[in-house]
Order: sequence, then structure tokens, then C-alpha cells
Amino acid sequence: MKDHPAAITEINLAHEAEMPPLPMSIGTTLVNKTGTWRYFRPFYEDKTPPCNNACPAGEDIVGYLALLKEGRYEEAWRLLTQENPFPGVCGRVCPHPCESECNRIELGGAVAIHTLERFLAGEAAARKLSFVAAQRIDEEPVVVIGAGPAGLACAYHLALWGHPVTVYEAAAKPGGMMRLIPPYRLPAHVLDREIANIEALGVRILTGQRLGGNLSWGALQHYQAVFLAVGQSRSRKLGIAGEKAEGVLSGIDFLARIERGEAVRLGRRVAIIGGGNTAMDAARTARRSGAEVTILYRRSRKEMPAAEAEITEAEEEGIAIHYLTAPVKIWTENSRVKELECIKMALGEPDASGRPRPVPLPGSEHRIPVDTILPALGQEADLSFLDETIQIAQGQIATDSATVTSRQGVFAGGDVATGYGTVAHAIGSGKRAALAIHHYLRGESLESFPPLSQAVHRAQKSLSPTVVRLENLNQDRLTFSARPSQRRLDAQTRQQSFDEVNLPLDEFTVRFEAERCFSCGICNACDTCLIHCPDVAIKRDGLGRYRIDYDYCKGCNICAVECPRDAMSTEEESKWKE
Amino acid sequence: MERVIMGNHAASYGAQLARAQVIAAYPITPQTQIIEMLSEFCADGRLNAKFITVESEHSAMAATIGAATAGARTFTATSSHGLALMHEMLHWAAGARLPIVMAEVNRAMGPGWSIWTDQNDSLSQRDTGWMQVYCESNQEVLDSVIQGYKIAETVLLPLMIVIDAFVLSHTSEAVDIPDIATVDRFLPPRKAQYKLDVTTPHAFGGLVTPSHYMEMRYKMQKAMEEALGVMEDVDREFQQIFGRSYGLLEEYRMDDAEVVLVTSGTITSTAREVIDSLREEGQRIGLLKMRVFRPFPTERARNALACAQKIAVIDRNISFGQGGIFAQEVRSALYDAGTRTPLFNFIVGLGGRDVTPTSLRNIATFIFEHETPPEDIIWWEVNK
Repeated sequence: MKDHPAAITEINLAHEAEMPPLPMSIGTTLVNKTGTWRYFRPFYEDKTPPCNNACPAGEDIVGYLALLKEGRYEEAWRLLTQENPFPGVCGRVCPHPCESECNRIELGGAVAIHTLERFLAGEAAARKLSFVAAQRIDEEPVVVIGAGPAGLACAYHLALWGHPVTVYEAAAKPGGMMRLIPPYRLPAHVLDREIANIEALGVRILTGQRLGGNLSWGALQHYQAVFLAVGQSRSRKLGIAGEKAEGVLSGIDFLARIERGEAVRLGRRVAIIGGGNTAMDAARTARRSGAEVTILYRRSRKEMPAAEAEITEAEEEGIAIHYLTAPVKIWTENSRVKELECIKMALGEPDASGRPRPVPLPGSEHRIPVDTILPALGQEADLSFLDETIQIAQGQIATDSATVTSRQGVFAGGDVATGYGTVAHAIGSGKRAALAIHHYLRGESLESFPPLSQAVHRAQKSLSPTVVRLENLNQDRLTFSARPSQRRLDAQTRQQSFDEVNLPLDEFTVRFEAERCFSCGICNACDTCLIHCPDVAIKRDGLGRYRIDYDYCKGCNICAVECPRDAMSTEEESKWKE
Repeated sequence: MERVIMGNHAASYGAQLARAQVIAAYPITPQTQIIEMLSEFCADGRLNAKFITVESEHSAMAATIGAATAGARTFTATSSHGLALMHEMLHWAAGARLPIVMAEVNRAMGPGWSIWTDQNDSLSQRDTGWMQVYCESNQEVLDSVIQGYKIAETVLLPLMIVIDAFVLSHTSEAVDIPDIATVDRFLPPRKAQYKLDVTTPHAFGGLVTPSHYMEMRYKMQKAMEEALGVMEDVDREFQQIFGRSYGLLEEYRMDDAEVVLVTSGTITSTAREVIDSLREEGQRIGLLKMRVFRPFPTERARNALACAQKIAVIDRNISFGQGGIFAQEVRSALYDAGTRTPLFNFIVGLGGRDVTPTSLRNIATFIFEHETPPEDIIWWEVNK
């Protein structure tokens, strides 16, 4: 059908007998441009999916799921890594806030996004995919301090824009806190590969270089931009008697030594103090080393900050957890740990964190015989390397939303500046810094950065910032479909092995899982609008994009109402807006 | 293949054998079995049709109209209040000249609430432009659906197959279900001359000014007139292939008949028995079965009744303020005959009251005893 007939056919019937017997127009009706009747105008408007909105690394989740379900794995991986160069890491260790926001939750469970992300990383590794290096736009490198997720993400994004980057890392291997995640959660080869991918872009990583130690600020003077991403490396202290005894080792230090392959003499009985993910990592690692492990946590399970799966898996592996228990004193013998004196706690009024404050129960003191104590009470930034030109606030480097510090040319991000404490947040923060430095080096304004609670994106996608929630979807068109269960290595095997606990999904299940995505807010060319337009005023091109022919659209808005995923909007015609 | 099936299912088989492409229907007793079976046919692949469940009979007919406008062969079924709710759309289907075939199970209108048979529901739709065929047997139901498509698609008017509630709809009889390949030979796929087509857009059902409206109505009447001949042609062709024919009407034992009973629907079968036994007793009585009511076969009826001395029209319906509706039509047909044959109008069996052989035998006796009707409307077996 031609959209606009070249000329309107003249119709002259000589005879009544030539008239059709029914009331129908003889010529086409295209002459009658019914679009003039329109009061409301429907239009296509992609909106922000809740998962994309929730991803601290700013991934286009709906975008890569759409490619994945069609089997376009390389394109999916490229779209994913446009925002985050660590899908193999994040697919395994990210607490996936995307899934908590998924509109599928009540219709069979959230889409298992993390599994799909992990699958794509695996596909990329199997196909030996690498990033495409850009044309160098600068001679002088940007300096990144710290090869953790924030520093490496920053280096990656800068390299993609064509900036040379040198990364200085204090430890012997790059990776930062990612390096300390035990191999049963994150196999080292996954991290190594993703770091090697970044290095392949020309990013130089120099290890064993500690700023304020063997690397001086003076050595950085001639660089135009420095990004500080040193993380939070210092463990919080227990603050009880006996803490300096032999056999007391912070959870982080314990994990670092195991990672380096050092022998750590744990003895038979190991007590972990704390309830976060590091506590779980330390406990499960100690368990795999053959110890009897007990976790002491001063609040109840409900308040435990570790991921639910981590706690459950720890229990399955035979780790005892003593809730409402706090250490009071470490008893030693020959300067080595012998017993841990504890006290029972009760939960009181909420404290500043909103959680109930634990209150000691007098007279409940008791002793636990132990050989090793691994406190894991969280970390804080070691800011001793800074001089007074860089301002500090609440134990972190103070920055604005563009990661700019108080010192010209110095930027900061990741845990040392934000303290979010997840890999994904650090990656997002590194990307934000890269974007800021990219603008800064070109003399551009750094004013339009979104607040830290929102991720920044490389992709220049015109999405409405409106986040699509379940009530915005056309629920008549959504059907129940169950999330596949996570297959795990059995608990018996796990106690003797550092093999990965979570097993990958097979390709068929992965594709099916990607199909479960509602594509909230993002048109996926499902044709619902096209089918429902009573005026045949919607056209589809070969690429699955639609166009509304406003010459004939009467503005019934059935298309927008029927759209399953809220990828259409309506507005009053401007001619009526007076 | 001969099978013992109910009248409702005979209608379902008819639609299946005719390869209806779109079925839009809403359930109502006593019709529901028709569309239930069709929905099963659609579900298990015995019929390749789009089955549309709708929220009312009005929508059922509207959807059927839409599909028929797009060129599909369409079927629906309803009854009583469902038919009444369709009323607006019945006019539309006929005015749009759509060859829809519908099974309509005669059920009395409420209140008083009833599910049993009489003809007031279908006869109330007399002037909508639908053809109406009143069936006597389950076989006739099946055959009339198949014939119906051929007739409707020739003259471009919708056609209603009328079935007595329960007496026919829920009664099982042996029915020959023809082989579908044979039906295909008799009834090729519909070829719509005028239809919705996005490649050549036309507007349908738009405003028609006084300069053309009347011509359209003229053409509908002409189509009805043409239908009488088409029906006989189709019936003849059907007989050649399937060995069965029904005619516009049927004369039964009418040779030298002085008294003629005029019936429709299942009362005809009862009347056949009564006529047979009266003939054995030497009475010169015959039967005229009115099968096609719209278009009304005026000439055929007039000829059939030319030699009768007394006529008794048995009406299972009533046009309040006038009388039996078949009686009016027969009387009107006889006006030009030049004779004034006494015509007795019996109102019987409303709301499903049984019309037994005794009822009809008593009617015959009543006519034998009266030269002329004692009153315009003779209410039969009613407590006054």
C-alpha cells in the first residue's frame, strides 16, 4: 500500500447497477486523512527498565538479554562490556540488585540475570573475544592508583576512548578485593582473563607500587590526571584484650595469604567474628582447609549483612553460626590464642544503622576453646598516603558527583571515596571517573554528572528516565514462568574442594531464561501495537522498528494501552494544548 | 458415515464440514452444545478455524461480521435472548450483505423465564434481512447448514438455521455425516467479491445518503427473491450428490386432500404420523411443511394449497395483537389465489408445551366439525 496515493481516482458510475450491493467506498479511503480527528497522540518512547536502573555498573541488561535470547552472544557480550569489563566476576559475585527490582518476581521469580551475565563471559572466553582498542587521542598517560575494580574499570573506559593509562598497584597481582574472593566463588582464571582483556587494550599495570611507599607523589607530578582507587584495605579491630596474640589474623589477611599460596597454620578450631561476606569467605575457606569453623555474630540471622545464599551454603558445609554472641576477651597460653571469651547479647532499640542495637546480657559470659581467630568486622580506608591538599570526609576521600577531589587533576572513586563495598559499585564509580577525566582532559565541563546513586553510561541511548514498574506493564499480557533453580556442587564435595560451588546453566536454559525477560520499557518489536491498530496506521520496517502514520492515526491509543511493556506513551496534541 | 447424534451436534458437524473459518459465539441454553463441539473441533484440529470467545451475543455477531467482511466463511449459534441481543447486528450483517450462517435454537422469550421451545425468538427477526430455514430432523439440520453457505454466498444474504429447543436440539437421531471431500466438491471455499483488504483499502458500512439508501434496500429484496430459485437449485445439486433434498416446502400426502395442516419445525414429524393414521381411516387430509420462511415461498405455498377446502395453520408462535405468524404469511400468500379458503389458525405449544399426536388429531377433528373458523385465533389446549 502506498502511504499517500499520487492522485485521487475520479469515480463516476454511469449506473446504479454498477454500485456494489453493500455500503462500501468505491475508491480507497486514503483521501480521508482521519489523523485530523486525533486528540491524543501515541508515540514510541523507550523507558528505563528497573534492572538497568538498579545496576550500579550501569549495564544495559534488557539490551543484552534481547541479543542473548536470539543466540547473538558476541553482540550481547559487547553490549554488556561496553559498560562493564568484568561480566565473569559480576556474574558470580555481584549481589545482583537488578534481580531484586525485576518485574518478574511475582510471576515465577526474577530473571536470573547474574547467570546470564556469567554465561556471556564464558562464551566470550571460549571464543577468545577481546575488546577493540581505540585510536590513541593522547600521548600522556592517565595514572590510576589501585588495580581493583574501580581502578581497572576506569583504566578500561579511558583506554576505550583512546587515552593511554598506567595503573599502579601495591599488591603483587592486580585485582584488588576481587583477588581475595575465594576460588569456589570466583575462580582465579576468570578474573585473570578479564584483567588480561583490559591490558590488551594497552593499559599498563605496574604491581608492587605503593603510593606513599615506593611510589612518591612527586613521581606523579607531571601527569595531568590521577585517579585514586585504593579501596579499603585496613581491617577494623576487635578492640578487646588479647587481640595481638599469635593466632589472631584478620579475615582479609587470611584470604590474601591463602590466595598467595602461603601455608596458614589454623589448628583444628577456628572462630570467625562478624557476619558479612568477608566473614563467610573466611569461614568457608577455613572449612575447606579442614578446620572446625564457628562464626560468632552479635545480632540475629535477620540482621546478618552477608548474602542469604552465602549463609545457607556455609551452614550446609558444616559451619556453626552462634548468633547474638560477641567476643569479650582472648585468653592466651604461651602468647598463643587458647580460648575466646564471649558474651550473649539481646537485641535492643534500633541504632544509627537502623538495625537493633545488641545489648550484652550480664552473667552470660562463656569461653570457647579456639586455635585461630579470624575477625572480619569490615574494612576502612587507609588514608595515610594522602597529603593535606586532598580533603577527607567521614574517613573517605571527599569528591563531588564527578569524582573530583579538592586537588586539581586528582579524582577518586571506588570504596576509598564511596564505601559502597560491592564490585559493581566500584566498577560504576571507575567508569564515572573515566568519563570525568575524559571530559577534564578535553577541557569540558564536569557539571552534568548524575548523583552517585545513579549509574553513568557510555552508551548514548535516549531512554526516558522513568523507571517501568510492574503496574506500568500490561499485566493481561504477562504469563507465569518459573525461574530455573541454581545447581550447586553438593555440600560434601564442597568441604574438601575449592571448586566453584555454583554450576553454570546450559545454553538451552540460558536462552529460555533470557526469554523470560519482559523487556520492561524497551520495545522488542513484538507487534502488539501493529496488530491492535484499528486504522492500520502503524508500519514496521525490516529492522523491527515501528512508525505511526499520523495522517491516519485517530489517536485511539489502543496501541499504547495494549503495549505489554510500556514502551509507548501518549500526549495531548499540541494544537489542543492552549 | 451414519452416527446417532443430537440436533445441536448435527449443526456443529454441518459447520465443520462446510469448513467454517471463523466462529465467534457466546453460550446460551439450549444452543451451547453446538459451539462446545465446535470449540473441541478447533482445539483438536478437526476444524481449522479461529474460535473467538466473546462477552455477549451482540459481540459474537459483531465479530462474525468482521470476519465475514474480511472474506472468511463464518458461523455462529445462539438462541432466544441471545438472538434478541444480536438484533442490531442482524440488521448489520444483512445490510452489509454478508453470507453468515447461524444456527438458532428456538427457545421461548422471557419472562416468564423459559428454556423450552417456541418460535417467537426467530420470528421476531423476520424483517432483518436474514433467510430462515426451519428444520424438522437432525439430518435436515446438518444438510441445511451445508446448503446454507452455498445459498448465502450466492445471494449475499445471511441465513439462519432454526432448530426446536430440546425436541430437536437435544434429541438423538441417526444422521448421515457426509465425507468432507464430497462436501468440498459441493461447497468450494468462499470467494468474497467485496472484502476488507489492506492492499486495496475501502471503507465499509459508512454513511449512505437518501440518494442511494433505497437502492440498497431494493437490492436486498431482489436478492431475497433470487434466493428462492437459488435454494431450489442448490437443493437439487445437493440431492444429486448426497441423495437428499428438502425443497422450500414439502407437500405430504396432499393428493386429493381437502383438509391441509400447515406446520413447521418438529411438529411436522408428529403431524406426519397423525396424517398417516387419519388417511388409513379414509380422511382426505394432507400436510404442508413450511421449511423456508424467509424468503417466503409465496407461489409454491399458493400452488400447494390451491385445491384445499380447509386449511389449518399450526403456529408455535404469536404476534400479539394479530395472531399466528405463519398463518398471516399463508393467508397473505393466498390473497391472490382468488379463492377464500377457510383458514383456521391454531396457536399451540408455546413455551415448550408438548404438542402430541392427540393434540393434532383433535385439531383435525375440530376442522372436520367446522366449516369455517369459529374465531380468528384458536388457542389450543390452553386453560382460559
